[in-house]
Amino acid sequence: MFELSEEHRMLQDLVAKFIDRDVMPLEKAVLAREMSGQKSALSAEEEEVLLGKCRELGLWGLDVPEEFGGANLPTVALIGVYEEQARTCVPFTFPPDSPNLHMLMAVCNPEQRKKYLEPYARGEAQSAIAISEPGAGGDPAGMITRAVKNGDDWVINGRKIWVSRVPQADFVIVMARTGEGKRHEGVTAFIVERGTKGFNIEREIPMLGGQRTYELTFDDCRIPGSQLLGQEGRGFAPMQLRLTVRRLQIGAWCIGMTRRALDMMIEHAKQRVTFGQRLADRQAIQWWIAEAAMKIHACRLMVYDAAAKSDAGKDVRTEASMVKLYGTEMATETIDHAMQTFGAMGVAKELPLQLMAQKVRTMRVYEGPSEVHRMVIARRLLQDRR
Amino acid sequence: MKILVPVKRVVDYNVKVRVKADGTGIETAGVKMSMNPFDEIGVEEAVRLKEKGAATEIVAVSMGVPQCAETIRTALAMGADRGILVETDAELQPLAVAKLLKAIAEKEQPKLIILGKQAIDDDMNATGQMLAALLGWPQGTFASKITIEGDGITVTREVDGGLETVALTLPAIITTDLRLNEPRYASLPNIMKARKKPIDNLKPADLGVDPKPRLTTVKVAEPPKRKAGVKVGSVAELVEKLKTEAKVI
Ligand SMILES: Cc1cc2nc3c(=O)[nH]c(=O)nc-3n(C[C@H](O)[C@H](O)[C@H](O)COP(=O)(O)OP(=O)(O)OC[C@H]3O[C@@H](n4cnc5c(N)ncnc54)[C@H](O)[C@@H]3O)c2cc1C
Repeated sequence: MFELSEEHRMLQDLVAKFIDRDVMPLEKAVLAREMSGQKSALSAEEEEVLLGKCRELGLWGLDVPEEFGGANLPTVALIGVYEEQARTCVPFTFPPDSPNLHMLMAVCNPEQRKKYLEPYARGEAQSAIAISEPGAGGDPAGMITRAVKNGDDWVINGRKIWVSRVPQADFVIVMARTGEGKRHEGVTAFIVERGTKGFNIEREIPMLGGQRTYELTFDDCRIPGSQLLGQEGRGFAPMQLRLTVRRLQIGAWCIGMTRRALDMMIEHAKQRVTFGQRLADRQAIQWWIAEAAMKIHACRLMVYDAAAKSDAGKDVRTEASMVKLYGTEMATETIDHAMQTFGAMGVAKELPLQLMAQKVRTMRVYEGPSEVHRMVIARRLLQDRR
Repeated sequence: MKILVPVKRVVDYNVKVRVKADGTGIETAGVKMSMNPFDEIGVEEAVRLKEKGAATEIVAVSMGVPQCAETIRTALAMGADRGILVETDAELQPLAVAKLLKAIAEKEQPKLIILGKQAIDDDMNATGQMLAALLGWPQGTFASKITIEGDGITVTREVDGGLETVALTLPAIITTDLRLNEPRYASLPNIMKARKKPIDNLKPADLGVDPKPRLTTVKVAEPPKRKAGVKVGSVAELVEKLKTEAKVI
C-alpha cells in the first residue's frame, strides 16, 4: 500500500472545509426544492458563488493537464476530493466533469483539442454522452444508431435515451455504429453540437434523486467529418476508459455518502432513547455501525488500490467494476440502516437520507447495473482459469 | 519587516478528546492533528500584513515531533515564506517553548512575533507572555485588531470589561484572539507552492536550550459527567426553574 502525499492530504482537507462551510449550508434549500417536485439542484446564483470560490481556491481542473491550465493531479489525489464532495447531497462538482475529459484527451486531434477539449478543460463548455438506447443499455454493444458517410459528412439516424446533462451541454458525444462489425466493433464516437439540425430532444424524463435524463432522436442529423472522434470503428475503447474513470469516482462518492449516513446514525443513536435505553446501547444498531465502518474501510482500500494502479498505467477495468459494485451496495445498505435508525424522521423529506437513498438507487443502474458488473468480474476469472 | 509566527500542532478542534486509560495524558495515537486555531489566526494576520506591504518575510516555527513539519507546511501554504522546525520528542512546556523562541528570535531578529493567545490542547495561555518577559519586549495579548504605524503598533485587546487599546514600540509580541481575523483556506496552487519552500531543521541543543519540563503532570482526568436533565411540563415551569434553581434570570 502507498501513503497519500502531504499535499494530497492538504487538498482533501481544503475540500472538506469548503464542503462544510460553503456547500453544506445549501443542503436545506436543495432538499426543499426536491420536496416541491423541482429538480434537486442549486440555483444559478448559488452555483455562481460556489464556482467563484472554487476559482479562487484552485479547485478547478484538478485532473486537467498543465498545458490547459489544470493541476494535473493523479487519480489517487482525487479520491479524497470526491469522498468529501459526496458527504452532502447538494449536487456540485468542480469543473470540468472528469469522464468526458479523459475520453476527449484520448481521442481529440489538434483541431478538436482547440475547439472542444480546451474550452471543456477550462470549464467553459459542458458536454453529455449518449450511449444508451431503448434496446441497448447495460449491453451498449447492442446499439443500432447508425452513422453513414456522405461525401465529407456523416449522417446520423437513431434514438438515444437516459442521457444526462443534455440541455446545458454545448456538445454531445454520440456513439453510433458505422462499420459492418458486430457488437463493439464498428462503433464510432462523434461530436454533435447543440442546435445541429436533426438532433432533437424528444422529452425530459424525471428520475429518482431529483435528476433528469433525456430521450434524443437523430433524424438525418448531418455533421462534418471533422467531428468524428478518434478512429472510425474504434470508439468503444475510449468510451470504456471514460466509464472506468466514472466508476472509480462512484466508488469514492459512495464512501462519502456512507460516511455521512454513518455519522448521522451514530449521532442519533446516542441521543434517542426507547424502552429506557439509548439506541446506541442496542446490539442491532451497534452491528449496523460496525458493518458500515468496516465496509467504508474496505471500500477505501479498494478505491485507492484501483486508483494507484490506474495512475501506474495499468488496466483496471475489473477493479473499477468491483469498486462500483461494492461501493453502491455498501452505500445502499448503510443509508437504509441510517434511515431505519431515524424511524419516521429517516423517511421524512426534510432529511438528506432519503435523497441520498434515491441517488444511490440510480447509481446501481447507471454506469452499468450491478448484475452486469458481477457478470464481468466472474467472466474475467473464468477466462483466466484453464 | 520580518514576522515570526509560532505554530503548534494540536489535536484537531473537531476531535472529541479522550483521556488515556492510565491518566497520564490524552490519547493522540491515530487522532487527527491540525494547527492550533489561534495560530492559524496569527499566520493569517502575518500574511495580511505582508499583503499590505507592512511585512517582507514570514517565518513559521513549530516545535516537537517530526510531524510538526506538516503544521509548518500548512502555514507555508497559507502564505508564510519559510519554516523552522525544532525537533524533539521531549514534552514541551510553555517556558521551554518561550526559551527556544527567544533563541530563534535572537538569531532571526524579527520585528514582530505573533502567537496564539493559547493552544487549544492545554489552554496554558502563557508562552507569549513568557517570551515577552524573556526578550524584554512589549506585549499586546488577546489582540482583536492591530495597526502598524512606523516603529509602533497599536493593539486592541479583548479584556473582561470590553476593549483596551495599547500602543507598543517594535519589536513586540502579539497574541491573537478569535476576532482578529478569519483565516483563509490554503488554496491548491499555494499548497503546491508550499512544497518548494524551505524548512530548517534544528534540535533544542542547536539553540543552546534545555527543554526539560519544570512542571510535573500529576493526573489527567475527564471532566465529571453532566447530570441528567429534567423535563419541564410548561413554559411557566421552565421560567420558574430558571429563576429559582438555575438563577440565570
Ligand atoms: C440517472 C441515470 C443517468 C444516466 N445517464 C446516462 C447518460 O448520460 N448517457 C447514457 O448513455 N446513458 C445513461 N444512463 C443509462 C444507463 O447507462 C443504463 O440505464 C444502464 O446501462 C442500464 O441499461 P438499461 O436501462 O437499458 O437496462 P438493461 O440493460 O435492460 O438491464 C436491466 C436489468 O437487467 C439485468 N441485467 C442486464 N444484463 C444482465 C446480465 N448480463 N446478467 C444479469 N442481469 C442482467 C440488470 O438487473 C439490469 O438492471 C443513465 C441512467 C440513469 C438511471
